[in-house]
Amino acid sequence: MNGETGMQDIRSARFRAEREDDWIRLDGLVTRVEKRGLSNLSFDEARELASLYRNTVNALSLAREISLDRALHAYLEALAARAYLAVYAPKKALGGMLWQLFSRGIPQAVRRSGFVLVMAFATMILGGVAGYLLFLEDPTWFNTIVPGGLAGERGILSSRDELEAVLTSGADGSLDRFSAFASYLFSHNTQIALFTFALGVVICVPSTLLTFYNGLVIGAFAALHADRGLAYELFAWLSVHGVTELSAIAIACAGGFHLGLAVLFPGQMTRRDALRHAGYDAVKLAILAAAMLVVAAVLEGFFRQIIQTPETRILVGWGIGGLWLAYFLFSGRGEDKS
Amino acid sequence: MSRKPDSRKRPPVPKTRMTEILPPEGVPIRFDLAGLGGRFGAQLVDILLSLLVVSLFIFVLSAADVITGEGVIAILALSMFLLRAPYYITTEILWNGQTLGKRLLGLRVVSGDGRALSPHAITVRNLMKEFEVFVPGTYLLIASNLGIVPGLILLVWIIALLLIPLFNKRRQRLGDIIANTYVISVPRPVLLPDLTRQPTPAAGQFTFLPHHLDHYGRFELQTLEQLLQVRTGTLNAAARRQHDLNLRRVSDAIVARIGFEENIPEADTDAFLRAFYRTQRAYLENRKLFGDTREDKFHNRSETRA
Repeated sequence: MNGETGMQDIRSARFRAEREDDWIRLDGLVTRVEKRGLSNLSFDEARELASLYRNTVNALSLAREISLDRALHAYLEALAARAYLAVYAPKKALGGMLWQLFSRGIPQAVRRSGFVLVMAFATMILGGVAGYLLFLEDPTWFNTIVPGGLAGERGILSSRDELEAVLTSGADGSLDRFSAFASYLFSHNTQIALFTFALGVVICVPSTLLTFYNGLVIGAFAALHADRGLAYELFAWLSVHGVTELSAIAIACAGGFHLGLAVLFPGQMTRRDALRHAGYDAVKLAILAAAMLVVAAVLEGFFRQIIQTPETRILVGWGIGGLWLAYFLFSGRGEDKS
Repeated sequence: MSRKPDSRKRPPVPKTRMTEILPPEGVPIRFDLAGLGGRFGAQLVDILLSLLVVSLFIFVLSAADVITGEGVIAILALSMFLLRAPYYITTEILWNGQTLGKRLLGLRVVSGDGRALSPHAITVRNLMKEFEVFVPGTYLLIASNLGIVPGLILLVWIIALLLIPLFNKRRQRLGDIIANTYVISVPRPVLLPDLTRQPTPAAGQFTFLPHHLDHYGRFELQTLEQLLQVRTGTLNAAARRQHDLNLRRVSDAIVARIGFEENIPEADTDAFLRAFYRTQRAYLENRKLFGDTREDKFHNRSETRA
């Protein structure tokens, strides 16, 4: 039997010869998908791709069992891997995904995140109260709490007029609005929001600290202005963008808490799985925070300069806040899928 | 078995950086994990490309005299902000796990659960990239302005983040772990000819008996296959001579080991090896079907000792 070297006695060679044409056909289809996308295939070709893929995966499984042909193994491994990537590619349109995300995914995630949101807002408010009280106790705390660059020309030595001038700046339209908008986007608060989210993984501590600190700064500012009798004006000034912006920071922080809590209290899952699970809502909160920060940038860069009366400022700021709330509460109800 | 037990050790199994993904079809598919060098390179390409786009944009704007110096900085800041996470997320969604840099270097993100790469996973891994790459990177640029303590914290942070991919077996960075994704090298399928199907005129003259075929296993067979798959047409004269010499040495070793009585003429070396490959493969595959898998030439050492 071993003396015969006829071609028919090697099963694996016959196996390969019978299927080789299919593989080469699949190879061609996969290459086209890789270069120009799945939409380049006609309906029949797409169906052929799927069935050839399934055949090839079966052939791979069989070849692992029966064949010792190394070239065949390497080829089938690579081909099956590439075909798998072509077949299991996301086929949704980008626009549809975005719509789905904002109309359903995000508000649903917000509604699921009540606990962490309360934690985040509470942390920030606590920070605010602490900053306010610290200032009342000793105004020099202001310099410790608020970094120089952030305060601008405002400090414990500023007079009422100087503070008021900042609150009403831009009234004459002298400020380059676009650059205000852009530089704002890159500002302190955006970074804080991003940081609070990502650092949540490190068991919540940095998120808490940053949010608390953010509250401290606002508290100290409020105390400074209240001290000069400008509390109402500051409130109005801050309302325009602050309602949106501070909420964004708290929401980013809540996203961080999601991750941190998953690491701290994974329950019956492994930490890795818990983190992955928490990621679903956390990421939606982070995207929401980013979107809100962009809105806040528009509000701060354009509207705060245009609107000058405190009453309108408050109305606009809290009105937009109300819109956010309505969006979170009512959007994406109905048949729940995602 | 009459042959003496081999005193040499089994060659160590080479450490492969592969990962298996189980698609719904139930047949595991193997991927080569991307090396850290390749991933770093892809990252660099992406960063350079986005910088290029931004500078072109600014160049056009300032050439058209639309903006002033202050505006340039604002636009720079804004566009870098928009070009980072959104760029990676969009490209990876549109190209199924590839950015431009990954395309150039033949890398791709795949989902660890065997299903299609979800937009969620892509978003997660790229949002985390902000904190693993960009924020530390930005701070590194202004490191000299940081105090000792923040500087040290930054250093520890960067080192910790760099160590994560080195110390897990799938080379995942933090974002990959949370998103359950891997970065793999896109395989390039090349179908080499089946050696048993190539006509070898002189092959019929060699006859192998069962006791000739009991010596080797899969490992030796596939090593021989690799040697025979060398495309001699592409070699230069010196390499060709070396290749012929190697063939001769291998055939001598095989003849000695299996106790083949016939003399093999110099000119028939190749034909002999091919005939042996074919017969040996048929034999081993047959054994395998009957549940007797022979990994390498040590396959029956334990029997000899018993």
